[in-house]
Amino acid sequence: MSDALTTLRGILGPEAAALATESTVEAAAPYDPVRFEMAYAAVGRRVGSTPIGGGASLTDARGHAWTIADWGHDEAARAFLLLAASARVPADEQVAWIDGTYRAGALRERTALLRTLPLLPEPVRFLPIALDACRTSTQPVFEAIACENPYPAEHFSDASFAQLAMKAVFTGVALARILGLVSRRTPELARMAHDYAAERRAAGRDVPADLRLLETP
Amino acid sequence: MKLCDPHIHMSSRTTADYEAMAAAGIMVVIEPAFWLGQPRTHVGTFEDYFGSLLGWEPYRASQFGIRHFCTLALNPKEANDERIADGVLALLPRYLAKDGVVAVGEIGYDEQTPAEDRRFAEQLELARRFELPALIHTPHRDKKRGTERSLAVVREAKFPEERVLIDHNNEETLPLVLATGCWAGHSIYPNSKMDEPRMAALVQRYGSDRIIINSAADWGISDPLKVPKTVTAMRTAGIDEITIETVAWRNPIAFFAQSGRLTLDDAPAERPAAFEGNSVRRG
Repeated sequence: MSDALTTLRGILGPEAAALATESTVEAAAPYDPVRFEMAYAAVGRRVGSTPIGGGASLTDARGHAWTIADWGHDEAARAFLLLAASARVPADEQVAWIDGTYRAGALRERTALLRTLPLLPEPVRFLPIALDACRTSTQPVFEAIACENPYPAEHFSDASFAQLAMKAVFTGVALARILGLVSRRTPELARMAHDYAAERRAAGRDVPADLRLLETP
Repeated sequence: MKLCDPHIHMSSRTTADYEAMAAAGIMVVIEPAFWLGQPRTHVGTFEDYFGSLLGWEPYRASQFGIRHFCTLALNPKEANDERIADGVLALLPRYLAKDGVVAVGEIGYDEQTPAEDRRFAEQLELARRFELPALIHTPHRDKKRGTERSLAVVREAKFPEERVLIDHNNEETLPLVLATGCWAGHSIYPNSKMDEPRMAALVQRYGSDRIIINSAADWGISDPLKVPKTVTAMRTAGIDEITIETVAWRNPIAFFAQSGRLTLDDAPAERPAAFEGNSVRRG
């Protein structure tokens, strides 16, 4: 965890220290949830949403590394705030805290939180939020959990993972963006992909080339 | 000409409307939180409504190359509902801090009750605290008196008038608003409020300073193309292009840019989707 915090601090530069003070996530000050909320909401206007770029990547507790080059600076700042606050919010309140923060979140607040899920302590606790995000029709929210994020491959059931993969196909998301896809293929997912290809051909439509990634080896 | 519709309830409009609006030149829309045609009875429904104005609706708009912003408030009608009023007021600070919120509104009067007085004043204070402009609805019934009272509330609160937009004006109320420092909005409607030729006549008489037009289109009989149609009516009436552009683009953008949150230069709206017969992606 602290590795991720260090990486994000490096990306944010001097802004990180200012944010930590304002949001009361530093150990020196008493933690104030309202000041955290205000900082979490307003930080996008301060740091902007341009992508981080470069070769930035993060590593979770299990040693999986993934790129965060496409994260916006606002998402990096919000991930930083969530990770820092997770050391301040009591463990038994964290599910309610993350759930409330997600539920009240504007679009970019939600995408930032979903990208942060794999880095939070005991991430499996937040599975209902990740599944909720897969049901959305707000495409950037879906992509925040489905793409360049190790969470689904790590924590989803076979059925939920298959739904995620097929939803990616339906919404034009390149399957190569789903981390751990190869390790989570099942005969059932291969069957769905096969049926989908048949449905497309019957409708006279083309079949996405990367659908073959869903075939079982 | 770039156009802005600074008062339109897109949540109740279709993707065909978005397509037509984009084709007509509308690049920015502002969606005020209002009521939904029948009363809401749970505070939680406002959380979902505000969440939709801050996530789902901006995404829908982005698919057509349109930037979507919102204003949030407890609306004047539901200010009278004691089941929800305190709860919604308590929610607002959390939501007013968010990106994409460019004013507190719609606030103001519907029936002009003491409850409306109280919620109007409380929400003007929220606007002050969050450094946001205020969008003030004027009532359908007893409009002139309601407008006078609204202007008096702003004055008594010593709220900066250049950060106030008084909406739904007509021939009777516009001079009252222009006599103050407030901005004046006009909702161009098929059957009620203002129509295009009357609006053109007001611009000919009063000029473009602080004058704003919108469609206020919602779930009722209304027309999301009333801003471009009023532009055409102003041209037909011989009004010059600079005046028209000021009313239909520069003024609403300048007013809501006072929030510091109406940014048009960063990440542009997503390219319009060409999505195999679906205008919203479906998975």
